[in-house]
Amino acid sequence: MLDRSLIVNIDWFLIGLLLLNSIIGVVMIYSSSHYLPGNFFFKQMSWILVSIIILFVLLLIDYNFLISYALFFYSIGIVFLGGILFFGKLIAGTKSWIKMPFFQIQPSEIMKIAIILMLTRIFAEFKQSHLPWRTGLLSGLVVFVPFLLVALQPDLGTALTYIPIFMGVIVLAGINKKILILLLICVLILGFTGWKFVMKDYQKQRILTLLFPQEDPLGSGYHILQSKIAIGSGGLLGKGYKKGTQSQLRFLPARHTDFIFSVIGEEFGFVGIFFAILIYFLFLSRLFKSLLDSRDRVGVYIVFMVFMMIVGQFLINIMMTIGLFPVAGIPLPLLSYGGSSLLTNFIAVALVLNIKMRRFANV
Amino acid sequence: MKNKIYEDLSLIRSRAKLTFVFIEILLIIIILFFWKIQILDHKKYWKKSESNRIREIVQLPQRGLILDRKNRIIAKNKASFKVSIIRENSTDIKESYQKISSILDLDMEEIGRRVNKYKSIPDFLPIVIKDDLTKKEVSIFESRKIEFPEFVIQPEPKRDYPNKICASHVVGYLQEISMEEIKRGKYLRKRIGELVGKTGIERECESILAGKEGLVREVVDSRGRRKGEISRIAPKKGRNINLTIDLSLQKKAEKLLQGKEGAIVALKAKTGEVLVLASYPSFDPNKFINRFSPEEWIKLANSQEYPLQNRAIRGLYSPGSIFKLVMAVGALDSNIINDRTSFFCRGSIIIYGHLFSCWFKPGHGSVDLYNGIKKSCNVYFYQLGKKMGIEKISHYAKILGLGEKTGIDLSGEKSGLVPDPKWKRETRNLPWYPGETISVAIGQGPLQVTPLQIAAQTALIANRGKKVRPSLLLDKTKRLSFPSVGIKAEHFEKVILGMWMAVNEKGGTAIAARISGFDVCGKTGSAQVISKETAHKLAETKKNEIKTHSWFSGFAPRNDPEIVVTVIVEHGGGGAVTAAPIAREIFKLYRENYAR
Repeated sequence: MLDRSLIVNIDWFLIGLLLLNSIIGVVMIYSSSHYLPGNFFFKQMSWILVSIIILFVLLLIDYNFLISYALFFYSIGIVFLGGILFFGKLIAGTKSWIKMPFFQIQPSEIMKIAIILMLTRIFAEFKQSHLPWRTGLLSGLVVFVPFLLVALQPDLGTALTYIPIFMGVIVLAGINKKILILLLICVLILGFTGWKFVMKDYQKQRILTLLFPQEDPLGSGYHILQSKIAIGSGGLLGKGYKKGTQSQLRFLPARHTDFIFSVIGEEFGFVGIFFAILIYFLFLSRLFKSLLDSRDRVGVYIVFMVFMMIVGQFLINIMMTIGLFPVAGIPLPLLSYGGSSLLTNFIAVALVLNIKMRRFANV
Repeated sequence: MKNKIYEDLSLIRSRAKLTFVFIEILLIIIILFFWKIQILDHKKYWKKSESNRIREIVQLPQRGLILDRKNRIIAKNKASFKVSIIRENSTDIKESYQKISSILDLDMEEIGRRVNKYKSIPDFLPIVIKDDLTKKEVSIFESRKIEFPEFVIQPEPKRDYPNKICASHVVGYLQEISMEEIKRGKYLRKRIGELVGKTGIERECESILAGKEGLVREVVDSRGRRKGEISRIAPKKGRNINLTIDLSLQKKAEKLLQGKEGAIVALKAKTGEVLVLASYPSFDPNKFINRFSPEEWIKLANSQEYPLQNRAIRGLYSPGSIFKLVMAVGALDSNIINDRTSFFCRGSIIIYGHLFSCWFKPGHGSVDLYNGIKKSCNVYFYQLGKKMGIEKISHYAKILGLGEKTGIDLSGEKSGLVPDPKWKRETRNLPWYPGETISVAIGQGPLQVTPLQIAAQTALIANRGKKVRPSLLLDKTKRLSFPSVGIKAEHFEKVILGMWMAVNEKGGTAIAARISGFDVCGKTGSAQVISKETAHKLAETKKNEIKTHSWFSGFAPRNDPEIVVTVIVEHGGGGAVTAAPIAREIFKLYRENYAR
């Protein structure tokens, strides 16, 4: 099934960068949660181990085979997301989780893979230079249905992470500027009605506090302000590993999940932030390079969507820590604590590796 | 395949590259923002982080009160203050120890030992150094607050047992939770340094009594000044518990036992509610709450008189003649005798080639069931034992509740021992000798019972065959049901008549318990001291000649039983002399308090 030439073509450098970022995550998770019950550090290590195994198993399967089952995966995903709304139990205020004997999993994360495969299926034979109405609407629908189901959980943060994937695909397919403008208008209208009728108070608060964080430092502006204090007080070199007062004194909320980047900022300073971004950028560039190496349309689409998925979350997350984006509950891919997110990103990278190693075989 | 030409992907690749460039620019902008916050605005944020400290103040809940059945207080709380150290705020830990040891008159090393015990917890969490501070100590700390940023004074409700030693075995005491217990996850909601119930009801009902602690999270600056409150969860008081104990009876019982070693149990006959559960000598639980003086506890734990031992549920004794009631019920139920069957007592009898004596040397003459019980004639019961055999005897002993725990709401209860040939084979690898059956018939031999078991058994007889489960929690008893043990009421009626005669007729062994107009029924017992432990103890003290344990167990009134009283006095001599008069006092006080 896997001949020598394929193994030679595995992008070990990309795997190395993937693991390097995950390990940076584990180190920071330890710093920010070692004094809490829950053993997050150990759990994240276990998830990395499981994810690596799944990554290598996925390399055995030709990506074209996976794409041919795209509709199947996608339908299962929709059934799960729909089912969880009706039968799921509330955990931490949302119905995002499926509880298993030893762990819990977030179907909304894994769904990203199904969406990517499904969109790839649609654009596999698409050779026009510009995106026509019908295809655009169809691909919009593919993203909108799971978006809605996840937003209803309610987990707007995870739902928002589907948007960069969609943006990636329409940019690549060559969207008409008029349509792009029209889409933006649609988003504005949706945003307005959403603000008026759908959004919960806490979500409105988050957007308001983005605009005026100083108004209420102990209320909902608290998250952003504390994160900024953490990062700013880190200075050039930081306060030292496990010595960040904002984090260690539990001032910073969601330290080991959404605000892990603030812990880096506080404990390792600007130098730490710079290198963390640099290492992440290297990983992203290496990922992007696969796109240039890919010899078929399917490859380019998949790689670009994976790239957009990760880069979108990365940018939103780090912008959130310094108050350039509302607190949306979006984790930092690979670094934040969370098994489902980690597994999803590993699977996505496995798809990219898969394309790169078979770039000569599948032509 | 080979000759297929690669697709032209240049258009979509160029779009992707354009996006990538766009993202690169965005990243550079973001890095510039970080530059601004971390380098240009560093001072401003540094100051904020320094003035930004969260202080978590745990507010301990009031522990639920423990009340007796008439809402009289057995355990309450009083206000007190404790002092803790926050190591983070100390510039020199040695110096801090020195300061505090001079104020509190505590040994520096001991403080160090105590703090080191909790070395692993974060520096900013307080560690309790001393509790129950005097007013003077509190005022010293308060007046020198600025000098001592590392010490905090916090109020803490302190457990108080106003009746001192009264009912201490039932109520139990509190002690500081140990590090191991926290690690084992035994008390999930507890924190280091908190007190938990270690014995008695304080332990059994910990979850009800404890309540929920409150938590105030406030922002303080680096010098501990309060800047604002983030959140506040008010402490939730623990629920009060009403015990079935009657405090005035309990006090009386303990007074009667003063200077002796023994136990008194009194039950509500029909429900098994425990009115009195006294064990003497006793201890003062107030002395254990102090976090710092384990000496007192060690002294008591090692005392020859075992004051920490709850004799009522853990003391194992031979039942002596009290066991004759089991014999009588068993013999009637298995049709071996009827109430008119008589045996002749000459003061002794030879069975299986051995001489067995009656306690009354001249002999009782012709004895039927009623006189057998009334006069506690050994010869009569030797005969019953011979006819019944050990298997039947142990069968009825078990039916009447011996050899198993009564199920009272206290842990550590002993189940006693009802011997039979199987038991002897298994534990001593010896056959059962017929002569042993004859000893067992008058409550000697390997038989072992607790005072509580005897009280429960007496209640069963008083209820004409309905078994009760002794209970200490007043709410719970209302929900209990009492099954019949399946022996005809008429048999019990006959045994009860015998017990009534023992107390109320001339020549009865328990006449010292008689109260005119209250129809007390009872049985005395004098148990030979056989346990090695006790023999050893006596050999050491040498002051007592070996006297028998003195038993009495009975109930009143005869036709509508209300109260069961069981008394044992170690080395008290005959039951008629010591135990029966004590029981009389309890019956009397009950009648005065609960007269209808």
